[in-house]
Formats: sequence, C-alpha cells, structure tokens
Amino acid sequence: MKRRQLLAAGCACCAGVIAGRAWGQTAPDYLAPQRFQRPDLSTDEGGLWAMMDREEKALRRSPLVLRDARLTTYVQDLACRLSAGHCPDIRIFLVRTPQFNASMAPNGMLQIWTGLLLRMENEAQLAAVIGHEIGHYLQRHSVERLRDIKSRAAAGQVLALFGLAGAIGQLAVLAGSFAYSRDHEHEADRIGAYLMHRAGYPVAESAAVWSNLLDEARAREGEEPSQSSPLFATHPVPPERRDNLAQLAKLLPGGADGKDRYVEHTAHLLDEWLQDEIKRGQYAESLVLLSRRIDAGSAPDLMRYYRGEVHRLRGQAGDHDLAWNDYQAAAAGAAPPPPAFRGIGLVARQRGQKDEARHAFARYLDLAPDAPDAALIQSYITELSS
Amino acid sequence: MKNLLILTLVMLLTACGTVRKVESGANLVGERMSIKVDGNWNHLDFPGIKPAQIWTMEGVTIDELLVYSGIRDGQIMHPDSPAGEKRKDFVFRKTMQTEEIVSMLEGVLSRDGSSFKLRKLEPFPFGGRKGFRFEYERVRKIDNVQMRGVGFGAIDKDELFALVYQAPRLTFFPRHQSRIETIAKAVSIK
Repeated sequence: MKRRQLLAAGCACCAGVIAGRAWGQTAPDYLAPQRFQRPDLSTDEGGLWAMMDREEKALRRSPLVLRDARLTTYVQDLACRLSAGHCPDIRIFLVRTPQFNASMAPNGMLQIWTGLLLRMENEAQLAAVIGHEIGHYLQRHSVERLRDIKSRAAAGQVLALFGLAGAIGQLAVLAGSFAYSRDHEHEADRIGAYLMHRAGYPVAESAAVWSNLLDEARAREGEEPSQSSPLFATHPVPPERRDNLAQLAKLLPGGADGKDRYVEHTAHLLDEWLQDEIKRGQYAESLVLLSRRIDAGSAPDLMRYYRGEVHRLRGQAGDHDLAWNDYQAAAAGAAPPPPAFRGIGLVARQRGQKDEARHAFARYLDLAPDAPDAALIQSYITELSS
Repeated sequence: MKNLLILTLVMLLTACGTVRKVESGANLVGERMSIKVDGNWNHLDFPGIKPAQIWTMEGVTIDELLVYSGIRDGQIMHPDSPAGEKRKDFVFRKTMQTEEIVSMLEGVLSRDGSSFKLRKLEPFPFGGRKGFRFEYERVRKIDNVQMRGVGFGAIDKDELFALVYQAPRLTFFPRHQSRIETIAKAVSIK
C-alpha cells in the first residue's frame, strides 16, 4: 500500500476513534479513507484479497445468485450513495439464502442474502445494513481480524499443516469464519449511521432493524436470543446495539425512509423469498415476521397466506383454526394467492368438510393448473367426490 | 445436506463411521421396510445421520439415497448437528398430510441454505400403501452443484417410510433415475 493510502487509512482510523469517543455527546463525523489499491500478493492482506477474488469468481457463477438486474442495480446504486467515494470498488451479489446475513470482503465483494432483504421494511433499513458493512470495509476490519487470528497459537498449527503456501488461504477462511470483534461492530454501526444520514436516510431505521430481529429471536421458545441465533451470539447484545443506534438517531435527525422505492423493487420477489423462509422450519420466528408485515399492511394477502402455511405446517393445537382464518382472509383479498385455496382445501379435508375441500381444491386448480402438486390435488378431488 | 456431507467426511476421516456393501437382493431396513436392490450400493453409517440411512453408488459427495424406515410420531428428523447441538426444527407427526411430509423433507434438504424447488408431487403406491412421489431441483449451497432428486413415501400404522434420492442433474441423476424408480416400486412394508 502506498504511503498516501496508509496515511489516509490512518486518518480514517483516527476519525473513527474520535467519533467513537464523542458518541452520545455530539453529532459524529467520519472521514473515509481514499480508495484502496490492490495490496501486494506477498503480504497477508494481498493473500486475503486473492482468496476473496477466488470466492467472488465462484460466486459469480453460482446459481444461487439472484439474476434480477433491476434489483441488483437498485442495490448497487444504494451502495454507491453510501460508499464515501468507494463506489467503483463495490460489487453487489444478492444471494438466494433465507437467513439474515450480509458481508463485505476486503476486495469490495458485498454479499446480501435474500433472508435479509425479506426482513427490510424500507430502503433506509437496507441502507443501514449496507452502511454498516461498508463501515467494516472502510476500516479494513477483516484485515485486522486476519492479523488477530494469525497471532493466535492455533494459527501455528494451521501453518504447520498446510505450509506457507496454504497459510494465507487457510487464515482467510478462518478470518471469514469468525465474527468481528464487538469494537469493530460498534465502529461499523457508527460509520454506517453517519453514511446513511449523509445519504438522506433516518438513522432510527437502523435501530428498527435490530429491534425487529430481536423480536424474532425472542419468539423461539425457551431460548435467549444469544443462544438461539449465531448472529446474536457473536455480535454485540441487540438491546445495547439497538439503544446505541437509537441514541445516534437523535444526534443525526431527519431523512426519508424510501419505503415506496423498496417495495417497488422487491414486491415481485416476495413470494419466492417467503417460500424459502417457511422452509427454514423456524415457525415462531416466521410468525413474528409475517404478523409484523401484516400489521404494517405490506402485501397483506400474500403475508396472510404464508402465515396460514406456517400455522398449518407447525400443526400445534389450534393451529389449523388459525391457518383457516388466514387462508380465508387471503382468499377474500384483492390479490388472492392461488395456493390460499389449496390451504383451505387441505384444512377442510382434514376436518372432514368434503364439499368445502372439493370446491377449494377445484378453485386452486382453476387458478394454477400447472402447479407442481396438481396431480395430487386432482386425486383429492376424485377421492372427495366418491 | 451440507452438514450431513461435512459430518460424513469428518466421521469417515476419523474412523467413527462405517461403510459396508449393500448386498444385492432384499435388504431389511429397520423392522418393517424391505428394499430390493441390485448394483454396487454402499451403506454409510455414522452418528448424526439418524433417523435416516444413507446409501450411495457413486460416493456420498455425488449421489445419496436417504432411507427413512419406521419414523415414529413425534420423532425429530436429523436432530444431531455436526457441532453436537440438538436440533428440533423438523418433527414427524402421524397426522401429517402428504404436503406436510414433503414440506418437512424440503426443510431437511434446504436446512443448509441450499435452494429447493418442487417440480412434481403426485400419488404413488409405495410399499403397497397409498403414498406419494415427488421430484425436485436443488442447488447445493456448499459447492453450488445443481442437483435433481426424486422421493417416495407413505405412512403406515402411524409410521413414515420414505426414500429420497438426489444426484447432480446432468450426468449422475439420469444415470440412476430408472434404477431408483424400480427400487421404489419394489419396496415392501411388513
């Protein structure tokens, strides 16, 4: 790295520290470093970049990457507005995975999983997450993490196992598998808040992200969030984080949440993301998410259908009644999802309500004749008619 | 399946798992299901894979036949994670309808972040019972391999019996699909 970049990075670190110390008293400021140059391959940072380049090459070909040009461009533009001059170095990959996760590699590869996109209620919340990841990137936290791991005794064993040639790659894997330190997370939160404020978003939405996640984690029966979610086990405690961000929001007021734009760019993918969500089998968490979206009036027919699905699949006492109510509400809505009628049919069939089941199944097949389960549903109609 | 894959490799490397040849002809799995096979099948057994057995022809990183025999009401599907944690995400209930059983298997097969797309679900006589057959596509998260799969199952006396086979979609799945269909048609449940 050239002397100028080192100086800039050093200034940036100092700015982060200064901002951190002033936190809670005055509005923070942040001086971003200049764009990074590719480090020499013989350095640990160069090895880390090379490793991430290989990861990116594989990811680029992955069928799990969402090939939705409009949404990807939208998110890329959003990242650019937050990037503090690093836009040309940031490359967005939206990955079809139902868990809540985003990560940014030191080479500029920014991955966002669809489970996270599903949970965002507006553009400002997505800006909060991206701003946080860019905060890690600008402060080169992953390099610090790599060096921290290198200094541990365990790294010696890795070096012995794989030799020097494999060492950097193995350490990069290790670096990627460990969480950032709490200090890093707090610093990234602060930088992210500043970046989103500067881009015109309300910082309070970053606190809302953590508040919503906390609600979901608490819904898991008999488990504290730190035990039920790896995210909470390795990150700062969510209430503390939420409260810190809420405090920041008071120091950085104003902004517009951009909800309409976010809905416009993601509405057509909600069905697919919700299908993936319920396959996780984390029914209590899904119910919190879906109920929140229903209360907010977001795609209510679709959300009610999926909440019905969650109840039916969970199958606890009273769940079929709850599923029935949601299916009926979804079917009576302005944009009823065809499988809502299948849901009515399945519950009615189980209750022995043959006529209702048959009519609902017939309606489902009218609306979705090419559904994958059409043959099975047709067999139910035949059985119910006999 | 990523976790199952990792667990398989770890257990084999540490000699905690066993591999044995599956004999041609009828093989009793559990107490009640008999599977008639030909060809070179291997049965892998190791802690954590229960309640299924894994059989393979090409090697477990390529193709796998999951065999579920006599899953009882309330039994947890694959409760042990490679990290030794107990997981209870997916539980079989004797009152499950076909869609719910397939959803449960979808959940098991996508628990590692793999994508799963159901292609077909239809009635199918399995082991002489009124059962089901389904086809699916799956992108395996760990290595992005695009797989195809086919599954069969039925509930008898409140217990679940099922076979699920999956392999890379271009070569291995077409190579073995007809063999799997033949196996499924010949399953008997006592």
